[in-house]
Amino acid sequence: MDVLPLVLSLLYQFATSAAFFFLAALGLVVILGMMNIINLAHGELMMIGAYTATLTVHAGVPFWLSVILGFFVAAAFGAVLELLIVRRFYGRELGALVVTWGVSLVLGQGTLLFFGPFLPSIKIPGGSFSYGVFSFSDYWLILVLVSLLLILGLWWLYNRTLYGLQAKATMQNPEMARSLGVRTPRIYTLTFSLGAGLAGLSGALLAPTVTIAPFMGQQFVAPAFITVVVGGAANVIVGAVASSALLAAVKTPIGMAFGAFSGTVALLFAALIIIRIMPNGISAALQKYFIRRAGGAAR
Amino acid sequence: MTKHKDISPNPGTVAKTQESSAAAEPTTSRGIPRRAFMTGTAAVVTAATVLPNLRMARAAETGPVKIGFIEDLSGNLAVYGVQKHHAAQLAVKEINEGKTLKGGPVASGGVGLMSNFAANPPIMGAGDKDLKYVDKGGALSNSGIGFVEDEDVLIDSGESGILGRKVELLAPDGQSNNNIWQQLTRKLIQEDKVDCLVAGFTSAEREAIRPIVDQHKQLYFYTNQYEGGVADSNTFCTGAIVEQQVIPVVDYMIRKFGPRVYTIAADYNFGQLTAAWTKAFAPLVGGKIIEEEFVPLSVSDFTTSIARIQAAKPDWVFTLLVGSNQSNYYPQASAAGLEYPMASTVNMAQGYEHRRFKPPSLNRMYNCVNYIEEIPTTRNRAFVKRWYEMFPDDPYIGQMAQNTYFSVHLYAKAARLAGTTDQETVKKALESGLSIEAPEGAVFLEPSTHHCSHYIRLATADADHNVSFVREWPSIQPWWLQRVGVNLVRNKEYKQYIPDEDPFFSMFSKS
Repeated sequence: MDVLPLVLSLLYQFATSAAFFFLAALGLVVILGMMNIINLAHGELMMIGAYTATLTVHAGVPFWLSVILGFFVAAAFGAVLELLIVRRFYGRELGALVVTWGVSLVLGQGTLLFFGPFLPSIKIPGGSFSYGVFSFSDYWLILVLVSLLLILGLWWLYNRTLYGLQAKATMQNPEMARSLGVRTPRIYTLTFSLGAGLAGLSGALLAPTVTIAPFMGQQFVAPAFITVVVGGAANVIVGAVASSALLAAVKTPIGMAFGAFSGTVALLFAALIIIRIMPNGISAALQKYFIRRAGGAAR
Repeated sequence: MTKHKDISPNPGTVAKTQESSAAAEPTTSRGIPRRAFMTGTAAVVTAATVLPNLRMARAAETGPVKIGFIEDLSGNLAVYGVQKHHAAQLAVKEINEGKTLKGGPVASGGVGLMSNFAANPPIMGAGDKDLKYVDKGGALSNSGIGFVEDEDVLIDSGESGILGRKVELLAPDGQSNNNIWQQLTRKLIQEDKVDCLVAGFTSAEREAIRPIVDQHKQLYFYTNQYEGGVADSNTFCTGAIVEQQVIPVVDYMIRKFGPRVYTIAADYNFGQLTAAWTKAFAPLVGGKIIEEEFVPLSVSDFTTSIARIQAAKPDWVFTLLVGSNQSNYYPQASAAGLEYPMASTVNMAQGYEHRRFKPPSLNRMYNCVNYIEEIPTTRNRAFVKRWYEMFPDDPYIGQMAQNTYFSVHLYAKAARLAGTTDQETVKKALESGLSIEAPEGAVFLEPSTHHCSHYIRLATADADHNVSFVREWPSIQPWWLQRVGVNLVRNKEYKQYIPDEDPFFSMFSKS
């Protein structure tokens, strides 16, 4: 086998795998990473996005528009969920865990009763091209690009807008933020709704590549939690990007050499080791490193 | 036809029941092939020796006949469980309305073996639920695909329910969780005291509950296609098994596409053992498994597996993928431009991937099935029609749904033959060589191994996901357990055999 196609294929697998982790974790990055709510309904929020996209595509809406609709439907649902239920559980992590789990059961089973066990899938947009023995899917490359754009967008939102500033203030010290005139309940609703909307967006983006079924969200829950927890809360966006890349870098070569089973085992082992040596996640470790380096330079 | 009512528990009853069931269910009499006739004779002899020894019915047989039924109505496996649940509901409704499927202790044979042949296989378009359009494919010929306008196989049973008692279906949700399966099994057996248990999608679920079944000597039907090898005195496996599915399809694929096989399988006992079977059998027909990959059920991103397959360059891919997550393989492989021919024992006939995914994801998928909704025979079209009348919103009828349907009817037949719902007696009646005319064709419950012969068809999907049938075998016996010497009529057993226990295969696998 030629070396160049293999290297390209590995790069492609790495990029798509990292994009998959990042997209799976996208909504949770905001809800768990920033708001510290263990949201077990994360998968169902992705499912809502995927269902919205699938149903609207079948109704004749162009795919890119249906992805945006997926964002707004999930965001609206998230806002309602926050106002009715989640806001009663701030500061009570275990309460939030149980209540979001209940919501996920109701959503999954409700979808099964309402829409049946499956929706017909959407065709994956774009074709494929090949190089050497390997072939590559256009759509996955588009997903990689979209993931990069989403990273930039999130960074801009949280570092260059008033909402971002108020949200960070609210999450760090709600009382102080309130005394400075920030309407914290509104920030909580907006942030939860944004997280839900992002979950819906990535559900819609991943919809063509997966089975559209009531319990489809569950496949994303484990990768999402692993990515966010490994990434850490010190800087959620940097953390999610770094942990997606790191986990994909472990999984891809081992999976390629020894098969999917070994790839999964290696992934879980990597997560275990990272959390052991960096208990607060990669972003906290990176932050500490940069602070120390900055301190060293100042001296 | 009300002879079955008020049957008193005495030894004469059995013969009377047999007569009346024969009268109520006339069988086709023209040209029974010799083998079927011999098997039939053997079955009658078995019946004659077994039946007089049946135990007396217990006095306490009043109230409804309870059929315990567990399937996954939620979770990763709900797509299969809901179908099976509907199948059981349909069968119970028919039994309560005084209907039964043709058949009885008359051995295999029936319509399948006597069919006419269509010169070209009938092909149907996708998305056609009521099967109103069937192309007979031109003039009849002497070879080709069996296709016969037989009459419907649903006939009057002569009574409402079983032995004059109504049938009740107790169907809790297994939630795709093996622990819940165990709890529900205990509850159904100990508290509800079901007369018969029909349950199990994955082999993991079956193996989780089989010890409980055996502990209580519960009469148990496992209706899924599976990896084979279960030799259990209390368990009746009515789905197709490896020698009926894997061997025909591997043989065909190696001849048609070439010897180099890549197996990608779900990582649990079904996938592992079916892959082991394929590995054991492929050398016999000149094939070679170049790579085996086992995928955990939770995996849903197949980019790396697709690249591995491309690097290995097989002639065709054997896919044994199970559950919603793993179905993602097909659209992902198709989008990545993976265009190898594929074979399977589960996909298409079980999870209707050819209906769920946009063409051409399932192009050149081959599967030896004992049932698939598209089977063009009259009896199947009648079955499909009855199904959609009861469940108009269902998306598909899969092979394990059909198995569940005829298994419930088979239980009713056996209980009528036994004249009681006493479980040990019904088990003996089931071991009397029963055959039943299922929607797929004639099915014969082989007494010594508790497995069924099946009408097997090799179905394939084209680039537009139209299903056609390229070969068929009107009756394939479940022969492997007999080969390793299992005879449950003589010796009680409660284990599962695996191909490694048969030295026959290792003789050929040195390559």
